[in-house]
Amino acid sequence: MREITLSQAVNEALAEEMRRDERVFIIGEDVAEAGTPFKVLAGLVEEFGTGRVVDTPIAEPGFMGIAVGAAMTGTRPVVDLMFGDFIYLIMDQLCNQAAKTHYMSGGKLNVPLVLRTNLGATRRSAAQHSQSLQALVAHIPGLKVAMPSSAYEAKGLMKTAIRDDNPVVIFEDKLMYQDKAPVPEEEYLIPFGEANIKREGTDITLIGTSSMVQVAEKAAEILAREGIEAEVIDPRTIVPLDEATLLKSVRKTSRAIVIDEGHQSYGVTAEIASRINEKAFYHLDAPVLRMGAMDVPVPFSPALEDVTVPTPEGVAENARRLMSGEMIHAA
Amino acid sequence: MPHDVTMPQLGMAQDAGKIVSWLKAPGDPVAEGDALFEVETDKATMEVEAQAAGFLSGVTAAAGEDVPVGQVIARITEEAEDDSAPPEPSAPSAPSAPQSSGGDDLPEGIEVTMPQLGMAQDSGLLVAWHKSPGDAVQADDVLFEVETDKSTMEVPAGADGYLAATLAEAGEDVPVGNAVAVISAEAPSNPVTRSAAAAKAPAPKAEPEQAEKPTERETRQKPASKPAPKTAPANSANGRILASPKARKMALDQGLDLNRLVEAGHPQPYHVADLEVLKSLPTKSAQTNAVQTRHLTAEIPADGFADFARWAADTAGLSDQNALLAGLAAACLPTGTGTVRVEALGQSHSYAVMPGPLSTIQPAEPDRPADLILRDLRFSRITSVHLGAEPAPVLTLARNGDALAITLECAGDHLTASDALTLLSEFAGRMEQPLRHLL
Repeated sequence: MREITLSQAVNEALAEEMRRDERVFIIGEDVAEAGTPFKVLAGLVEEFGTGRVVDTPIAEPGFMGIAVGAAMTGTRPVVDLMFGDFIYLIMDQLCNQAAKTHYMSGGKLNVPLVLRTNLGATRRSAAQHSQSLQALVAHIPGLKVAMPSSAYEAKGLMKTAIRDDNPVVIFEDKLMYQDKAPVPEEEYLIPFGEANIKREGTDITLIGTSSMVQVAEKAAEILAREGIEAEVIDPRTIVPLDEATLLKSVRKTSRAIVIDEGHQSYGVTAEIASRINEKAFYHLDAPVLRMGAMDVPVPFSPALEDVTVPTPEGVAENARRLMSGEMIHAA
Repeated sequence: MPHDVTMPQLGMAQDAGKIVSWLKAPGDPVAEGDALFEVETDKATMEVEAQAAGFLSGVTAAAGEDVPVGQVIARITEEAEDDSAPPEPSAPSAPSAPQSSGGDDLPEGIEVTMPQLGMAQDSGLLVAWHKSPGDAVQADDVLFEVETDKSTMEVPAGADGYLAATLAEAGEDVPVGNAVAVISAEAPSNPVTRSAAAAKAPAPKAEPEQAEKPTERETRQKPASKPAPKTAPANSANGRILASPKARKMALDQGLDLNRLVEAGHPQPYHVADLEVLKSLPTKSAQTNAVQTRHLTAEIPADGFADFARWAADTAGLSDQNALLAGLAAACLPTGTGTVRVEALGQSHSYAVMPGPLSTIQPAEPDRPADLILRDLRFSRITSVHLGAEPAPVLTLARNGDALAITLECAGDHLTASDALTLLSEFAGRMEQPLRHLL
């Protein structure tokens, strides 16, 4: 199978959906001629014109509001938010308007909008351009949240998001845009709420989101050399969450570590760990561990930044501790 | 008045210190606070200071010598050239830690005492406990922190086991040598928590014999009962067992008792893997039944044994009636064999009974533990007994008119109920018609 980058996969998904459905358009900063700073949208304006690849001023609340209104009135906008950190700027449009319109209109209005943005540290972009804020939006009822872990997921999830009649936020890891993965030429969609078992194992379940799936897979390789068989699961969408697959795995392995690049406290890891705790308690032989980013603003210093996020070695070390029966947190 | 210089106790487990070097020579004038000598223990080397001003004399230990803690090794006298004889090596002046706590109502175990951390120190301030009553401890674990006028020091437990009693609270001043904690071998059912103020006046000076006697007597009075911790470990306030939910659930489903892992000293928290250890522990039934006593009585209308014994003596030359009784009784044991002690008319005879003819019964060494005791009271006026369990099951024969009453008493872990019933009914049958035995 051919291999393409995550950036190309997103580009293909958008192009295919824009060809399929003329209601689909792109709106955001530097999306047209510039093709975004990450060149994800390169070539789209040439094919679809500035009427469907719309450059905006640097005014996130403005173009987000325009997109929400456009979605309510019959189009299917794909909003390009240059950095996930800018979500703070569009919170009202996203959380108070887009997320609640269907509910508050008694089902008369839909907001079939996709918010494309990114996450991920270690790009030396400092505290305001390195955050992973998926927990903020996953908290809001009415928003779906997809977190592709490779080019394959990026394309399949994007096409499903565009066809969804309600708002979807997709977080792409900005460090993965150039990562290649096998992607079929023929069309495919990845349904929401279906986790992917990336690697089967019997001893411990590693649940990772986005690039943390790769971290988990590398940790599993380290552990396999030590005789520990880790199962790696990618939920692919955290809203909706495929609980059944996660719980089935934990019932098998009795142990779990949840890894996500958002801050650890009150984060995605906490939510998933908590559900495992509630629904698989009597199958647990060890506490469910969360591994998120440190609860600090992401440092600009490369040396410091690198230690704030989960690493394969760190995941493997925690897995060993769980396997050994060590007292994880003495009272 | 001369001031004695003694070997200080620098650690809990320390019972002797090695004098590395003397820093003063006999006859030297010393000021209070001068370093007198250097001591090495297994943990550290420390300079010991003079606690009084005067002149060093009467040095009885040379550099390189190992000296028991508390032993007087020199004196500081008021005048130089003091001719007083060097002190004989004396018993330690500081009370050494007793190995077991007798009397009182403290759990049994090893006492941990307030260490002497300096020459002039007569008490230590207990700053903080690092373990809670009921906690499992290892010898190296820090048990508590002590502050003296010089330093704060962590005191290790000194023994593996469980913290069964704390006898002082954080913030209390405890005299050197007084017990501060008790480390028990088994998980305590009711860990004791006391303050030093509330504790009775310490009795470290008590003669060891006095301290031991009550315990001994108690043990004799209740030979069959086990120490309390074994019967109700789960009821203690601090008896919460740390186990994973899965291990707990599997233990429940499989009827396994996690308390037994605690009793076995297996370190917590428990995981599924520890259940394998639990399964491999010896069966619990012996312990839970230990406090039960079985008491069964059978009565047969006539004693058929006397005729049988006469017949056996005449025809087979088996003239030892006690051996015959032992043979009949041992055959009724679940194993059909064993050591039987026959007690009759103030005498006691032990027999080794193997399966086979009565002629093969051999006398056993008197000190060999009996599997069964047969007490023959047929020739006494006693008609029935209720004596309680003894180290082995006891069959008592008593005459009741023409009838013969046979009583079996044993602890619950000696014989199962059904084995006890079988033993007694079989033995009664054999006593009624001894010839049955030969069939």
